[in-house]
Amino acid sequence: MKTRAEGPVPWKSSSGKGNEPALQGIWSGTISFSLVAIPVQLAKAVEPGRVSFRMLHSKDYSPLARRMFCPEEETTVPPDEIIRGYEIGPDKYIVITDEELESVSPERSRTIEIVEFIDMKEVDPVYYDHPYYLVPSKGGEKAYQLLVEVMRRTDKAGLAKFVMGEREYLVAVKSTEGVLALITLHYIAEILPYEGISPKDRKIDAEEKNRIKKSIKNMMADFSPEKYADGRRKKIMDLLKKKAKEKAPVEAPQVEEEEGEGPADLVAALKASMRKVKKR
Amino acid sequence: MSMAGGAIWKGNIFFGDTNLPVKLHTAIREERIQFHLLHRRDHVKLRQQMICTFDKKPVPVEAQVKGFEVEEGKYIIIDPEELEQAAPESSRMIEVHEFVTTGQIDPVFLDRVYYLEPDFHVKGYNALVGVLKEMEIEGICTWTMRKRSYLGALQASGTILRLNTLRYADEVISAKSLELRNIPLSEKELNIGSDLINQLTGPFQPQKFENEHEKKLRHLIDRKARGEKIAVLVPRRLKPTASDKLLQALEASLKHVA
Amino acid sequence: MSRRVVEIAGRRLSVSNLEKDLYPSYGFTKAHILEYYRRIATFIMPHLKGRALTLKRYPEGVDKPYFFEKRCPSHRPAWAKTMEVRRDDGERMTVCLVNDLETLIWVENLASLELHVPLARAGSPETPDSMVFDLDPGDGANILDCARVALILRDLLTELRLSGYVKTSGKKGLHVYVPLNRKETTFEDTKRFSKAVAEIMQKNYPNLVTARMAKEYRKAKVFINWAQNDSSKTMICVYSLRAREKPIVSFPLAWKELENLSKQGDPEKLQVMHSEAVDRAEKQDDLFREVIVKKQKLPYL
Repeated sequence: MKTRAEGPVPWKSSSGKGNEPALQGIWSGTISFSLVAIPVQLAKAVEPGRVSFRMLHSKDYSPLARRMFCPEEETTVPPDEIIRGYEIGPDKYIVITDEELESVSPERSRTIEIVEFIDMKEVDPVYYDHPYYLVPSKGGEKAYQLLVEVMRRTDKAGLAKFVMGEREYLVAVKSTEGVLALITLHYIAEILPYEGISPKDRKIDAEEKNRIKKSIKNMMADFSPEKYADGRRKKIMDLLKKKAKEKAPVEAPQVEEEEGEGPADLVAALKASMRKVKKR
Repeated sequence: MSMAGGAIWKGNIFFGDTNLPVKLHTAIREERIQFHLLHRRDHVKLRQQMICTFDKKPVPVEAQVKGFEVEEGKYIIIDPEELEQAAPESSRMIEVHEFVTTGQIDPVFLDRVYYLEPDFHVKGYNALVGVLKEMEIEGICTWTMRKRSYLGALQASGTILRLNTLRYADEVISAKSLELRNIPLSEKELNIGSDLINQLTGPFQPQKFENEHEKKLRHLIDRKARGEKIAVLVPRRLKPTASDKLLQALEASLKHVA
Repeated sequence: MSRRVVEIAGRRLSVSNLEKDLYPSYGFTKAHILEYYRRIATFIMPHLKGRALTLKRYPEGVDKPYFFEKRCPSHRPAWAKTMEVRRDDGERMTVCLVNDLETLIWVENLASLELHVPLARAGSPETPDSMVFDLDPGDGANILDCARVALILRDLLTELRLSGYVKTSGKKGLHVYVPLNRKETTFEDTKRFSKAVAEIMQKNYPNLVTARMAKEYRKAKVFINWAQNDSSKTMICVYSLRAREKPIVSFPLAWKELENLSKQGDPEKLQVMHSEAVDRAEKQDDLFREVIVKKQKLPYL
């Protein structure tokens, strides 16, 4: 369901919590190193570029919604009747609530504790998973800037673990262009070995190397990502623009034009009130 | 530990007079505890369904169309054949356009890594590995895979080649845009801070880190399965260091680690 | 193309194309628009705060094509407040939350002249904070007819012990808001209630009011668009500019004022221009404040 381009986002079940106060962004808490604690918020660093479509009903172009369906009762299930379970056997589940999930690693769900620093050059890019930015919250601006500056001066990055939603992440916190970036890393256990695909014969032919070097010499450049655009996305947008000019967009029917008047009590009260209003 | 997955695609690395057939393999396998969504009442596993927001009834796939919202509630319909036409031409070419110095690409652009296995032409493959390592460069390339366009960096790692897919420029939010007010920091604070970091610096040893949360989660599940009551703990929140106490905190920290 | 860096609340923001005239037949540049929103900020902010913004961008001016965007543009400052919301088809989307002045100015720099927000806040998208009666005049009717309907509506609501507040849409109609601000309220409640009210209005004033959307029923009548009470719908935010020939604002009116203007019989007098909006807001404060603070319960449901 979740696409890779969007990165990890905590999944909240609606187990009876009702309407919660508006959450800001993805995650907020503090980042710390030794005895210094800085209040921060996690902010997105990347956004999927794909064109977003809506699924519609071909009959009348009403938008479709995804719902959870109980195959036993053959009915749609509202969010407050949905719980999270772990399968321990056929049709046997252990239910886990949000609070229990947060209790698993309470020391790490609101704190990113940097316990050591490393040289990012030692980190093979294969470890990188998903990037974010850390934005200082009120009061933390000075300490935040200090961390940015000293990591820049020493050319080091911090390593920490923290929990967001259902998962615990190993992260590298680095200084980049005056800002703290947080990159989630894969655990070493998740990185597959490549021995099986590495060629057994490692011999490097000098002539072959020189031939390749010759080609490369004329192809050196600086990395400028703006040079490359997603061709498919552009084609889709062009197609949509063309279609927009040819035909008016479709609109879903608004409402059921049912004859029913509404709840009896309300209608009666309205009738009585209307009479009074007209008398005025 | 399992081996790299089977080949998911085949392509040809192409630039100048170099043409190297390769097979792509995934490099990462994430293992995660999977939860299911259940019906609270009877613990029946739920399934997903698309329903019509108008009549609230389930809609079969044949009656579903894609629309692009151009104005509130107004859509342009696009059908699968039209989308097909917009798909890039299939080809097996991984075209390298230029080479850049390793380390130039900001990690924020890096997406997925694929291992490349040589498909016969081992001499050329090994030579390319050698050249990329010697010159400390990566190749910027584009290719089409499964009807999507990709941008990536061709890298050498150990004895193999890798393809690291890159995000497009307009998918990345520039760090430069976070323009923070310049807060004066004293040289003392900066020096102590730097000392502190150096004291806490060590080599990158990824083998030290395990997904402990995963273990604890499994443990939690076991305990619940045994019928134990789980105490709900409140997440630890640290008190932010006040700006005027920053130097103090840094000095105390340095004493602590030295 | 002029580009300047401004500092707001410690954040630096680059603004551009300041001299571009976005209301060409009137003469109102990007600089004027930024200035308007800067001055109206204290009044508009509480009504934008925490709500998923729908942007309507007119980078080439009000007479040129516009961009409709629900997603927060990805080229945004990292400090711009956003929220991940899940659409009801499961798709995740990042929306802009205009919670502070700097985000408002950033959004306006993108020429989002019109700011549209839902009736519910992003954190609780199924809980409307108010119920709305969107009064839309059909061909042959005008804002004065809407005023008549609004005044009857006010009386009807009073009988039901509910307070309502009215604003101009900034275009042809009026919006009457009934604050609720209770977490138990659902869109089903507000839709059902407003539909019943619209229908009784139609029954009693058949030549003035219609509760039916189809165009043939709306001629020379005021359509009470009760279907706006939906989580998927948005309304123009109070104090927002409108993208029409002149920079007219969606502005709150006191009921007494509406009565007087209604009697005067000049539809143009109900429209409030940008400069008047700033003056009046600074003098009389936010007339729409109650819409976000007053707690009311819909009776008889």
